[in-house]
Amino acid sequence: MRRARHLTALIACLCLPASAQATQVVKLDAALTPDRLGQAATIGFGFHITTTTHGVPAPLTGVAVSYPNNLGIALSGLGLATCTETTLEHSGPEGCPTDSIMGYGTARAELPVGTDIVDETGSVTLIRGPSQNGHLALLFYTNAETPVSSQTVLPGLLLPTPAPYGGRISITVPLIEGLPDGPDVTVTELSSTFGPQHLTYYETVHGHRIAYHPNGILLPDHCPRGGFPFAAELRFADGSHAVTRTSVPCPRQPALPG
Amino acid sequence: MPGHVGLLADAARTLNATDTGDLHFIPPAHGSEVYEEGTAHGTLPGSMHAHCKIGAVVEANFTIYTRGGTITGHGKATPNGSGEYESFAGSILVTSGTGRYAHAHGRAGLYGTFNRKTYALVVQTTGQLSY
Repeated sequence: MRRARHLTALIACLCLPASAQATQVVKLDAALTPDRLGQAATIGFGFHITTTTHGVPAPLTGVAVSYPNNLGIALSGLGLATCTETTLEHSGPEGCPTDSIMGYGTARAELPVGTDIVDETGSVTLIRGPSQNGHLALLFYTNAETPVSSQTVLPGLLLPTPAPYGGRISITVPLIEGLPDGPDVTVTELSSTFGPQHLTYYETVHGHRIAYHPNGILLPDHCPRGGFPFAAELRFADGSHAVTRTSVPCPRQPALPG
Repeated sequence: MPGHVGLLADAARTLNATDTGDLHFIPPAHGSEVYEEGTAHGTLPGSMHAHCKIGAVVEANFTIYTRGGTITGHGKATPNGSGEYESFAGSILVTSGTGRYAHAHGRAGLYGTFNRKTYALVVQTTGQLSY
């Protein structure tokens, strides 16, 4: 039976700018599905931003999600094709090669309108972009329809990171304009898979187009002490940043037949 | 002891070596780690075995088995590819050897491609080997 293990951690560190009235509080979720050592999996990650004053958080400008060491991302068979930011902006994910899709997710944003806060939710498609300076590029395409139709590309890069992490997904979040002369839209939630779950790729064999599921992200044979570590660092337009960590517990070993 | 150093310098040999390795994947993979083996062609022909970690950086420990002995070292490279083939560039450091290459050491440039579907590796090294 396939199952995912989730663990949620509250923010470990909050850093305030001198003039800030409210502090952003970040919750990070991570999952490995299925959580079987030595087997291929899909990574799931997401964060949720609130404030200590229950108001709208400052606009998010960047996120870096660090993932555990020794995950077989380069061996995953994901992102065998690439799609450019320009293609995404003009045609959406439908204009990209199927084999460039690497995951799916959801996003949520808040927009202050007078004394009200308007919520907007949308879908996220994770797509491989052309490498930049030797780093694998990821494009998070967000598509929201109501109450405002909005399509945004969040560019990301896979960057090296010191142990115990194997790398980090560094995402740039552009400022998203709200109403004329109003404050910018604030991204408050973003979650995505990074793996073969719900993906179908195609290859041509002897002239025939064959559908297949990409391998997935191979987990190591051994679980690190304390579980698989994840961390996220978020930067906000008011100059503040927040760091949070979590870990996915080590899978239980299957019981030996009696 | 200048005399001793001079003797070593006289005894050492230096090769300008250019080699290409065609490596295939030996399953299973372990997380981001793969074992590869294949053949080396060029200045130092023979068979080759490598233990690679393929992530945001490509790292490998390798041994080349030549007729005169083995050559061992490690390498590090930055991937820079798009799609099915990932290219990478970096350097290798030869650290030891056996037989004729018992005192092998040297440094070389490393270039190659990695097939993300079959995990096959093609590597090319160009540099100096002293032994």
